[in-house]
Amino acid sequence: MKRIKIDRSKCIGCLTCTTACIVSHDCVDNRSRITLSSKGKYAPIFCRHCDKPECVYTCMTGAMRKNPDTGIVEYDKNQCASCFMCIMACPYGVLKADSENNREIMKCDMCQYTESKSPQCVARCPMHAITLEEV
Amino acid sequence: MTYVVIGASASGINGAKTLRELEPDAEIILISKDEYVYSRCILHHYISNKRNIDALNFSEKDYFKKYNIKWMKEIGVDKLKDTENEIELSDGSRVSYDKLLIASGASSFIPPVENLRSANNVVGLRNLEDAQKIKDAAKKVKNVVVLGAGLIGIDAITGLLGYGLNISVVEMNDRILAVQLDKYAANKYEDLFKKNGVNLKLGVRAEKLLVDEANNPKQLLLNTGERIPCEFVVVSAGVRSNTAFLQGSNVEFDKFGLIIDERGQTNIEDVYGAGDVTGRNPIWPTAVKEGIVAASNMVGKKLLMTDFFGSKNTMNFLGLATMSLGNVSVPDESYKEEIETKDGNYKKVIHKDGIIYGAIIQGDLSYAGILTQLIRRKINISAVKKSIFEVDYSDFFSIKENLEYTF
Repeated sequence: MKRIKIDRSKCIGCLTCTTACIVSHDCVDNRSRITLSSKGKYAPIFCRHCDKPECVYTCMTGAMRKNPDTGIVEYDKNQCASCFMCIMACPYGVLKADSENNREIMKCDMCQYTESKSPQCVARCPMHAITLEEV
Repeated sequence: MTYVVIGASASGINGAKTLRELEPDAEIILISKDEYVYSRCILHHYISNKRNIDALNFSEKDYFKKYNIKWMKEIGVDKLKDTENEIELSDGSRVSYDKLLIASGASSFIPPVENLRSANNVVGLRNLEDAQKIKDAAKKVKNVVVLGAGLIGIDAITGLLGYGLNISVVEMNDRILAVQLDKYAANKYEDLFKKNGVNLKLGVRAEKLLVDEANNPKQLLLNTGERIPCEFVVVSAGVRSNTAFLQGSNVEFDKFGLIIDERGQTNIEDVYGAGDVTGRNPIWPTAVKEGIVAASNMVGKKLLMTDFFGSKNTMNFLGLATMSLGNVSVPDESYKEEIETKDGNYKKVIHKDGIIYGAIIQGDLSYAGILTQLIRRKINISAVKKSIFEVDYSDFFSIKENLEYTF
């Protein structure tokens, strides 16, 4: 499977990835973010599509599933009951609900349903701090 | 090799799937009392007509075909004969196994209140049949009592709200959701339920269910002498593990439930267990993980259960979401609590010497999952120079070779 590789040292916190994410999903919310550590270092916080995905284990509706072929942890908003157990379960605090209706989980889908079919955060990062790698 | 799995909920379904993934050629039989695969945690959405039976299914639609699992449904297990590697089913037939996974779950507990166990129209909310009964009753009766204001009781209320019934909830604690919430957070929900016409009877005890000649409920008598009208009672007073069929076998269980080790194995070599039947940490993610762990060890692939943090939950009632983790109030004076109320959100964190022991987040839950890990792993946050409400992964940032994060 492919994961987004993060080279933290290259990140300048320009938030182009955040913007690209919002634009790609035609949505007011972002599915990844950049935060600042106590020492002022940027930390790109992106869904890892984990091998052992806590969000999937905790999902009681089957809305969150790991696709065995692509490795992508996929989210089905129509099956979701907005119980928010996945927000609680994500060890890295990647997830939140949409800010408009507080209903849909803002889950990275690697832009597979967009025209480009590949992560736009990666495509737009001017510093090549995030790249797509086979793992 | 024949694997038999008892139960078609979180543990059973995930366990059987794991068995198939690891053993492409084995025979796998799943036996369930249930006629359908459904998520018990969303039965209130079935009561409220938000979901039909299909939409309760948490597994893949073609699950049994896809994973080549033989499903014997609507059949109970009456006896385990571990010395013969055999189970006896409710239809009198017998099934042999090489290895057995017990994921038989739990059943609603009906407390010994006079008439409660014998009267008609008294149900828990655990099985689809319970939800069906509640739904049918909701169309016929006027007054409903929900006995117990835990998560299941409150689920039941939200399911019933749209039916225009007179709903009363009777709770011994001074607040609803007393296990998960403190007074402040519980009050927010209490106000919302009151606005929706629910009568809250808190800090009281049910003494007796008064019934008519036909043994149907009329009123619930409280210890205060008050009589609450009800033609139907939903009981939410905890569960008991389904271990009755283990009587007479050599498999060990105690008053909580089936006893398993961290590999999911019971005291008998070929018998494994997972989920609510253990009576410990009865939450969905634990059941899923235990199912996967047991199944892996059943096929000889060693995997240990490592997540024993079970006091965690989220809820989302009447448009207000809350996350509850660990200790929701200070255990003693050596602990500190920090509280922030901002923009309609409520955040409370319990900590001591740099370790977080509990939290309540009400309102905006964004990115709060990190707290679960900080508590579970007892990660020291002393080095984090931020407000305790702003702690995020940036201060623990670390990437593994496979590009996953780690702590």
